[in-house]
Amino acid sequence: MPDTDTLIQHYLEGTLTTAEAEELHELLKSQPELGERLLQHFDMDAMLRATKPLVADNIIRPALLPKRRFTFATVTSVAAMAACVTLLGTWLMNAALDLRPEAEETTASVAVLTRGVNLEWESAAITPGTPLSPGLLKLKSGIAQIEFYQGARVLIEGPAELQLVSSGEATCTRGKLSAQVPPQAKGFRINTPKGTIVDLGTEFGLDVSAANEEVHVFKGEVELHQPTATMKSLKEGQAMAIAGDTAVLTANASSFASLNEIDARSAMSQRFQFEKWLASSSNLNADAGLLLRFDFQDDEGSRSLRNHAVNGGQIEDGSIVGASWTTGRWPGKRALEFRNVSDRVRLNIPGETKTLTMAVWVRVNGLDRSFNSLFMSESWGDRKVHWQITRDGKVRLGIAGSHGAHHADHDTPVLFTPERFGRWTHLAVVFDPAAKEVRHYANGELLTRSPLKTIEALKIGIAELGNWNDRRTGGVAIRHLSGAMDEFALWDRALSDSEVAILAK
Amino acid sequence: MNTHETQAAQVFLAHHDFVRGVALKYAPWPGLMEDIAQQVFLEFMAKESQWDLSTDARPLLATMTRHIAMRQWRERTRQQPEVVQKLADHIRLLAEEREAPPRYEEEISVLRSCLQKLPEKSRELVELYYYNDIGTPQIADQINMKADTVCRALSRVREKLRECIERSTNQGGPAHA
Repeated sequence: MPDTDTLIQHYLEGTLTTAEAEELHELLKSQPELGERLLQHFDMDAMLRATKPLVADNIIRPALLPKRRFTFATVTSVAAMAACVTLLGTWLMNAALDLRPEAEETTASVAVLTRGVNLEWESAAITPGTPLSPGLLKLKSGIAQIEFYQGARVLIEGPAELQLVSSGEATCTRGKLSAQVPPQAKGFRINTPKGTIVDLGTEFGLDVSAANEEVHVFKGEVELHQPTATMKSLKEGQAMAIAGDTAVLTANASSFASLNEIDARSAMSQRFQFEKWLASSSNLNADAGLLLRFDFQDDEGSRSLRNHAVNGGQIEDGSIVGASWTTGRWPGKRALEFRNVSDRVRLNIPGETKTLTMAVWVRVNGLDRSFNSLFMSESWGDRKVHWQITRDGKVRLGIAGSHGAHHADHDTPVLFTPERFGRWTHLAVVFDPAAKEVRHYANGELLTRSPLKTIEALKIGIAELGNWNDRRTGGVAIRHLSGAMDEFALWDRALSDSEVAILAK
Repeated sequence: MNTHETQAAQVFLAHHDFVRGVALKYAPWPGLMEDIAQQVFLEFMAKESQWDLSTDARPLLATMTRHIAMRQWRERTRQQPEVVQKLADHIRLLAEEREAPPRYEEEISVLRSCLQKLPEKSRELVELYYYNDIGTPQIADQINMKADTVCRALSRVREKLRECIERSTNQGGPAHA
């Protein structure tokens, strides 16, 4: 039988056998002091789990892990061969086709908002996943985690104002922040109205109020530069006012938000949003004008999507082809990933509709093709509908003309830039003959109104989510989506601006 | 979220560690603490319009946490074999009768400082087991040791951390750890 330490560990790990459980129970009864010891291990175990770092690259694992099977020499020789093949291929291609490199796309962003808890912004609202360009962030309340491209991670607690200067520098004019600066981001600078903190690879907190500014060092060392004083060096456990009384104080880590805690907090916040969404689903499904709603919460492994619209009896469930299940907007929320030329969901919307609204939650990974399908009628012609994203990032509702008449494209301005790739976006489009317009929305906000020249009814028929079947023989145009969807709905009425805004919340 | 919802969420988050501590006392079952804290958050937010957020939220959160902890503890242990259920009952009784309840709220920030002071091998072990979620048998395989030896090593690490926390607390708080 294992010793007491091993029995306690098995209890904590949830791997006790029944014989071990019996043994541990007997020991607890015969040795009263063992109970307190077990509970102390239990408390410590729970606390250690709660200190799990947010970012896995903090974790070191050198000596304990098995040795790699490849030596450096193997890797370099393979890499050298690969480089030769690539160079040869590039030379042959350029020589044969006289290709010139296209101008590369660029981004002005210097950081990314990675997480947020109960965020309310005074400046323009931003959501986790948004790349951030230099400029002022004004956070009214909540906690935001920002990762600078140079590697520093910063938590700001509202109310706060932070001006992003570059990938290695920011200015804090109000509020509290805490920063974790790994060795590769050494030299990260935070300016305040009264001085500059230069980090030498460490963790520190900064509190900037109208009356005072204080820096607290939790780990490592920072340099404090002030215009009228010599540079001061602050070490682990020390704190100091940036101006005025420069006595060395004791750092107080507990008064700052911790990078380790935001993970649990944002998980709870996400679960709360997920529960709210679940609770609102039945009302949405009962909407009299709703013909089709896929919530993508079908059993994992299912190859069909159930239509939850109460009044959508004439529209059958969608059939999944190729696409695979993945995680949606929140942990526990499911979505379908479209990657391959074959991936699609087939469905049929019989008859005609005079008015139409469609809404989808979509995560676009890239725009690799001229047209990237959201929802497309099969083939083209006679009032068919094509909702898609063009290669240059515009969302388009294309409506085919009837009896050979010219089709009409209703485009948004460029919406999907590389900064938006990989993030969930809510899209909606309304074909509104009463208002004689098509309206496009992104994340609940009206993007564009486009006048309708023809208000004839639409004929969707057999259609596909995330792909297109043009029914030609001898080759089919490739228009599949590279991304994921986690909710799709279709109404035969025009939703108002406020109704679309609610869907996107 | 409306303003009151936001305030309620902030009140909860300010008491997050307090809730975890109460959960530990009433549900000493591995892996339950975080589930309980999340459920308390959901139920607290579902009824947020009823709460007067200007008063101390601790009594309310303590009651909610105790109820939810008992409920989840029962649900979790009910699925276990009878002999494990008896052990779980015994441990819960010990936890409830304990003279010094868990001091999670005070100790968690000290623990972070103590972790930095661990010898390298001990930190690696914590990282593998607690942060990389690798079980003790798999760790034992990787380092060519017996699984029991890994269990004892983890036990020693936890005891060292406990000693560090107590030393630090006696000396005056996290900053001195």
